[in-house]
Amino acid sequence: MTIALVAGIITAIVIVGLVLVYFVMRDKDDVPGTDAALGSELTNIKVGFDEAEGERGKDVKVSASDDSSKAPDSFTKRFLALGALAAAVFGSLATRIWQLQVQSGQGYQQEAEENLSTSVSTPAPRGCIFDVRGRELVANKANQTVLADPSVATDADTILRLSAVLGIPAPIVRQRIQDASTGAQSQRVVADDVRLRDIAVISEHPDAFPGITTETRTVREYPYGALAAHVLGYTGTPTDDELSQAGFGRKVESTDTVGKSGVERSYDGVLSGDQGERRMMVDAKGDVVAVVAETLPKKGSDITLTIDAYAQGVADEALASQIAPLGDIGTGKGVAGAVVAMNVQDGSIPVMASYPTFDPTYFTGGIPQDIWDLYNTEESNAPMVNRVVNGQYAPASTFKAFTSMAGLHFGFADYDSEWECGGSWDGFGSGDVQKCWLHSGHGTMDLHDGIVNSCDVVFYEIAKAFYDHGPEGTGELSDTALQEYLQSYRFGSPTGVDLPDESAGRVPTPEWKAEQWKNVPSEAYWRGGDYTNMIIGQGDVLITPLQLVAAYGAIATGRIMKPHLLEEVRNGQGEVVFKAEAEVVAEPDVNQEHLEYVRESLHDMIDQSRDAGPSFYQRGLDAAGKSGTSEHTDRQDDAWFVAYAPYDDPKYVVACIIEEGVSGAKTAGPIVARVLAALFRGEAEDSAELEIPRMSGSSGRSVAVKVAGGSRED
Amino acid sequence: MPLPQIQSVHAAATPATAGRARRRSKLSAIICWPLLIVCLALISFGLLVCWSAVQSDADYSFSRQLMGVAMGMVACMVLWTFDYRKFGALTYPLLIVSVILILSPHLPVIGRTVMGATSWIYIGMQVQPGEFAKVTVVLFAASLLARYNGRLWDVREYCKCVALLLVPFLAIMTQPDLGTGLVYLFISATTMVMGGARPRYLLISLALFVGVIACVFALDEVLKYQLEDGTWEYKLLKNYQRSRLFVFMNQDSLASTDEGYNLQQAMIAIGSGGLTGKGLGSSTQSSLGFLPEAPTDFIFCVLAEELGFLGVLLLLGLYAALVAVAIHIARTCGNLFGMLIICAIVGMWLFQILENIGMCCGLMPITGIPLPFVSYGSSFMMVNFAMLGLISSVYSHEVAPTTGVGYGSSR
Repeated sequence: MTIALVAGIITAIVIVGLVLVYFVMRDKDDVPGTDAALGSELTNIKVGFDEAEGERGKDVKVSASDDSSKAPDSFTKRFLALGALAAAVFGSLATRIWQLQVQSGQGYQQEAEENLSTSVSTPAPRGCIFDVRGRELVANKANQTVLADPSVATDADTILRLSAVLGIPAPIVRQRIQDASTGAQSQRVVADDVRLRDIAVISEHPDAFPGITTETRTVREYPYGALAAHVLGYTGTPTDDELSQAGFGRKVESTDTVGKSGVERSYDGVLSGDQGERRMMVDAKGDVVAVVAETLPKKGSDITLTIDAYAQGVADEALASQIAPLGDIGTGKGVAGAVVAMNVQDGSIPVMASYPTFDPTYFTGGIPQDIWDLYNTEESNAPMVNRVVNGQYAPASTFKAFTSMAGLHFGFADYDSEWECGGSWDGFGSGDVQKCWLHSGHGTMDLHDGIVNSCDVVFYEIAKAFYDHGPEGTGELSDTALQEYLQSYRFGSPTGVDLPDESAGRVPTPEWKAEQWKNVPSEAYWRGGDYTNMIIGQGDVLITPLQLVAAYGAIATGRIMKPHLLEEVRNGQGEVVFKAEAEVVAEPDVNQEHLEYVRESLHDMIDQSRDAGPSFYQRGLDAAGKSGTSEHTDRQDDAWFVAYAPYDDPKYVVACIIEEGVSGAKTAGPIVARVLAALFRGEAEDSAELEIPRMSGSSGRSVAVKVAGGSRED
Repeated sequence: MPLPQIQSVHAAATPATAGRARRRSKLSAIICWPLLIVCLALISFGLLVCWSAVQSDADYSFSRQLMGVAMGMVACMVLWTFDYRKFGALTYPLLIVSVILILSPHLPVIGRTVMGATSWIYIGMQVQPGEFAKVTVVLFAASLLARYNGRLWDVREYCKCVALLLVPFLAIMTQPDLGTGLVYLFISATTMVMGGARPRYLLISLALFVGVIACVFALDEVLKYQLEDGTWEYKLLKNYQRSRLFVFMNQDSLASTDEGYNLQQAMIAIGSGGLTGKGLGSSTQSSLGFLPEAPTDFIFCVLAEELGFLGVLLLLGLYAALVAVAIHIARTCGNLFGMLIICAIVGMWLFQILENIGMCCGLMPITGIPLPFVSYGSSFMMVNFAMLGLISSVYSHEVAPTTGVGYGSSR
């Protein structure tokens, strides 16, 4: 088809050329009368020529007669050459234009379109975030924004008027309009959070403000301030790294708002909505000529979290008043802490608190440099870290629930086993004496007493049994038998909670130790002491508070649930498009009698605890739990407490850690009791009657930590 | 058949030629209808395209273009009624006028230099005398060659002709304006060929011309010097001139230079027109400023973009018809001087069309040569009308009674 057309056109051109040649030839060889129109003319010429020749004799001044015989022939040739030149010019041009326009026209059309079309995206409001009772934790606030077309940068009058209305110096207005960081064609933000009165002045006088538009944009608002800040996270513009990783599952531009942490990050795709797009025609200078198409932004879906704002507020407040009652860290007890609660039935997380904390309100327009600097000092104690999922601690005595289960499982302890605690122990006979936390000794203890009193010697004996049956002893067990049992409670692996970058903790193995100490060969092998350390939750074991509540859930119910924060997702029409379902991660293979035995021991532990017990029974809580104090040689000990309630029909398990809180039962225990009570209250009472305070972020400052003296019960 | 000789001018009054005049109607004796129709069509079409091209650019005004057409029509009428044969004896005065015109921008006060070329004078309005000199150069070249009765075989005479014809070119290179200079050269070459120069001499001249160009480049290669930043600069043909000349040769890397960008945008404009175009006034490449100098040098792109391949064919068809009619008039002309005038004009048009359209679509180097009857510019419009006036004059004075000039004696 195209080839035929090309051929046709070239033929046409050649014909034009041939016609030219034909005329020229006709003129020369013409016989009068052959052609009606041309013939007469040609005849005349011939007559004229004849006359001219005839006249020559009279008028000749230059002798040309000898040339005349040759001349016609040579002139015909020359006219032929001129005609051929014309034909060649038109033929080659037509062919070339045919190539450009018809053969490659499509490609050039595309290039022309690319030349002039460009698109910018308009941000979509993010979805809101609610707690489990429907209280709005993250809302959107209308933010009046004044926008300017890029061309206004050269309009001095408009800039002066804007400066007068908005109260911003003219050079700054100009600078903001010239800032092309949001894209060459996109409108520039002159000012945001503008008073409605000023907005009215601008929008009512379009003639005085050419190229200026006002727009209501949205920014994140946090009605409860820092409440659950680590769960909610904050938003901001993506960093270059985040852009290049493209981990958002959507198209993200450098000017977009993305979730940076917490559920804002993990459910960014749900919350973000669909950006609007303006497709525009631009001219060579990049000025917008016309808006071709515009799709309006679509608000993101709202999500409901499993968080109970009331209990969460109690937890946040409890941590703050424990650690920094006067505002600065060190004015209370401990330097940092975390509380997490989990519903043991379905794995939902009603409380997740971490201290020090931050108020995401200040982060809506990017984190201000002064806060960033403040929160990056050592004394601020890392307010941005969510210690529930990223704080890794030695579990200390809270681990004894699982290690006693292991002892029972392998038969190294029984209901009527008895051990003698003299305050110190050297079961391996190495001369390296290990001490019970109660240096005076507990006397004769069975396993139940060992758990209730947290007697270390009892567990040293069990650990020694593991060692004795391991490769170094009889070889009945592998050197990772205890670790494998602990890993069945999911220690050492992330719980799978719906938050980004969860830490995995660590259950040390001989292999791990060899790798860790490969540069110190004398330390790179697994020893009996590693068993005795691990069995009391010290040494190289690391867990997160979230792992602990998930595992205690398995003590309470026999099942390990996958913890989750998302309750449901509602789309723009308010329809529930996703509802969380309980997910059992694992069901450790345990003897029910053993489990009952440990549960009873944990129940009695709270009953008999002088320090923690009253906090529970004063609040009418029938709970089972365990305290823990993880020892440090270079600083104060960390205080742990974990408990579930009600004892006979477990619903919630709560864990609390206070870094440098010294005594688990004294500092962490009451917090766990308060949070448990708040959970039951928040569930039972009308949410309107519960007062939830607005929390504030940490001051970022520390004073010297007061060292708590006195007795401990661990 | 003997060629019409210069002397035949004197024969015009004979009864036989008068008889020829009688056979034509009175009007068609002075009006060549095909020429008139083709020209009217071409000028209307050109004005339409020009109107569309100037819409988006406030620097250009369509009424100025219309004024140019009006002035051109006046010039055309004047030359039409003027007996062209009176120019026949004015060979040297024509040369002198040409040179004066070409050199006039060098005069103080009225001379203007724009973008490095001293090509304009300001006399109430800015005009380019080099454009008007095209008319005098055409007349000068035709009258020079007409003296040889269609047979220029003497080597000394040949060399003399070449030397004289090079004078306007050398004069305009003082501005410098290579585009117009090339037009002069092409006018001269066409006249030489049609004027009966010995083919052997023509071939030798062509070879010499190529040789001189080669020498310029070779010499430049020797004279080039390194700038402080390490790049090479040439003395005779500067880098920017080179990049303009050679940009069409490597079209794969167009975007790297300004010229390349211009050519790329021109080709996008042409190509995106497709078969039927985007419609008059609906171009995006030119109206949104992607196309440089849309109403002047790159006006063909506007046409191609808005009217597509069919519009291009219409334009080329009109040009072909104009050239055909002009050649026909030349061939049937009874006067060598008149024939040479028309051939020189045809050669000039052909070259301008080839160069202008060719540069738009990447066939030819980019030079500032406008498109006849289409490009914006009133001087340029006037010159083309003057050319039409000359052709009409040749046609209408073919047989009209006249005293003649008898420039055969001036040999």
